[in-house]
Amino acid sequence: MDGAGGEAMAPVVEFHDVTVAYSGRPVLWHVDLVIRGPALYGIVGPNGAGKSTLLKAALGLVPLAGGRVTFDGAALADSRARVGYVPQRETVDWGFPVNVMDVVLMGTYGRLGWFRRPGRRERDVAGECLRRVGLADLAGRQIGRLSGGQQQRVFLARALAQEAVIYLLDEPMAGVDAGSQELIFGVLDSLRAAGRLVIVVHHDLRSAAGWFDGVALVDMRVVAAGPTAAVLTTENLRRTYAGQPAVLEELARAVAAGGRTP
Amino acid sequence: MIAALVPYNTLIVAAAVAAVGLAAGMVGALAVLRRRALAGDAAAHGSLAGVATAFLATGRRDLGWLLVGGLVTALATLAALVAIRRWTRTRDDAAMALVLGVSFGAGVALVTGITARGLPDSAGLEQFLLGHTAGVTAGDAALLASCALGAAALVALGLKELTLVAFDEAFAAAAGWPVGLVDLGLVGLIAVMVVVGLPAAGAVLVTALLVIPPVAARQWTDRVGTMVLLAGLLGTLSALVGVVGSALVPRLPTGPVVVLAAAALAAVSAVAAPGRGWWSRRAAARRALVAWHEGDLLASLARGDGPPAGADDALRRALADGLVARGAGGFALTATGTARAADLARRREAWARILATAPDDARAFLTVDLPDPAAVIDGARLAEIRAAAERRR
Repeated sequence: MDGAGGEAMAPVVEFHDVTVAYSGRPVLWHVDLVIRGPALYGIVGPNGAGKSTLLKAALGLVPLAGGRVTFDGAALADSRARVGYVPQRETVDWGFPVNVMDVVLMGTYGRLGWFRRPGRRERDVAGECLRRVGLADLAGRQIGRLSGGQQQRVFLARALAQEAVIYLLDEPMAGVDAGSQELIFGVLDSLRAAGRLVIVVHHDLRSAAGWFDGVALVDMRVVAAGPTAAVLTTENLRRTYAGQPAVLEELARAVAAGGRTP
Repeated sequence: MIAALVPYNTLIVAAAVAAVGLAAGMVGALAVLRRRALAGDAAAHGSLAGVATAFLATGRRDLGWLLVGGLVTALATLAALVAIRRWTRTRDDAAMALVLGVSFGAGVALVTGITARGLPDSAGLEQFLLGHTAGVTAGDAALLASCALGAAALVALGLKELTLVAFDEAFAAAAGWPVGLVDLGLVGLIAVMVVVGLPAAGAVLVTALLVIPPVAARQWTDRVGTMVLLAGLLGTLSALVGVVGSALVPRLPTGPVVVLAAAALAAVSAVAAPGRGWWSRRAAARRALVAWHEGDLLASLARGDGPPAGADDALRRALADGLVARGAGGFALTATGTARAADLARRREAWARILATAPDDARAFLTVDLPDPAAVIDGARLAEIRAAAERRR
């Protein structure tokens, strides 16, 4: 659909020597990572490893102590329209007086620009995005009266409405039941099939092995990155989850089991 | 007709204060949603020192200059608040208490000093403490009204941007919106409304004019746009009650009347608003419980057991509705009752299947009164769920 097509159009996100520090302590430390699309790509690592910060650094939401991030070779400022974002669900107040359609329409605000209100076209786009995440019948509902999985799907629909080329999702499977998880992964899969690059911060290695084409294991720095099967080895996992033997054992079993079912 | 009873000046002032109430409610709605209500309080208390300083500098009671002075120190107070938060490790509430106390203390000291020295025209200065519209001239009123309507227009213009930032700051920033700039605009509007509201409500109480109408409005609606509009209307109403009250009772300040009127509207909203109000939620919970007990009763009788313990209410109702009849061997279902029991059993099973295959949908739609799934879930979605249940079987 991107007329020009060809190899040159394949989306790519590059982290060059990125360091992020909170009050003097590095959260990300010399991160070098190149992620090429189309792909469904997982950022995996222990709690507090800096996974979310990696996305925030890419989006300019936290200041970089050093390094730079590019989207298709361009700086973030020139790439906003090409990038869609799904923040963590807990970051917003779900008692806010907006309904499902209102939230999804927010995805179209970037194209509308200052002071222009969404119109017919934007409503159509948002409606289609809601259908893709199976929430068409809940368009008029206040967002607090949804289950966790549905709230996460609303956020995904809003990102779809951004009509981006590169999607960054922060823990979209947190607090989501199996049905919603399958649906969300299905939508992400279809984005990949349409040539997009989808980068997902994810905590569950079992489903990671099944769904992601590529994975980066992150713990302050990039421990390993590449095709999923090559990265999720016992050795790499031990290096990433050092100090968490219980987690490690379970992960090893999970990886050994492999398979596509979450 | 009214003009014959009420002096012309009072009408002009009332119209201006109504405009102030409208804008205060609208700006306040966004302030509350963005959690900036306390910023309004700091700005309000800080404005008094500026009003007094402007009086000293100009030597007369010219409302325009007094308000400019108030706006300057209101913004300075907010800046001090931001600075303390950013550069010291003081907690938010302590920083707020500190800034609010110091700035208000300075303001009260200045006003009292000026009044005590008996400078000409200075008596009216105390009206900025609790608000009094008696001294407002027609010219002042025009100034207040135009500032207020300007603020209201800006809220209407930037509603999309203000809402986006208030709801999801991170998403807005990631999409390239200048969150800091939008926030600055909002805080600027808050400061302007606080200062413009001084004659009506006074430095101590003007925050209430910004905060209470939105809280009341929130009870009636789940949409930002409606909430902003409603907060404006409730603000208008409260402000008008304040003007009339202080015009009728000699020496009664406007501020307290405005606040009490707004609080009364909020209290009524919290109790009576459909959906979110206390009354409506209680009634819904009761209806659901009654329906649940009735279901229990019918199921129990359908099984051939007697009425379950504690089902007296449901039993009386079922007898009255002709679902149950008293027979020789105790209570029994009528034909209607049997049909209804079967219907409920079918629904319970349908919901159990939905819960097993699509727990998200069940959680979103199931209520204890067991509605027909087809009545609450979209047809296409229901078909999907049924197909998924078939596949799983």
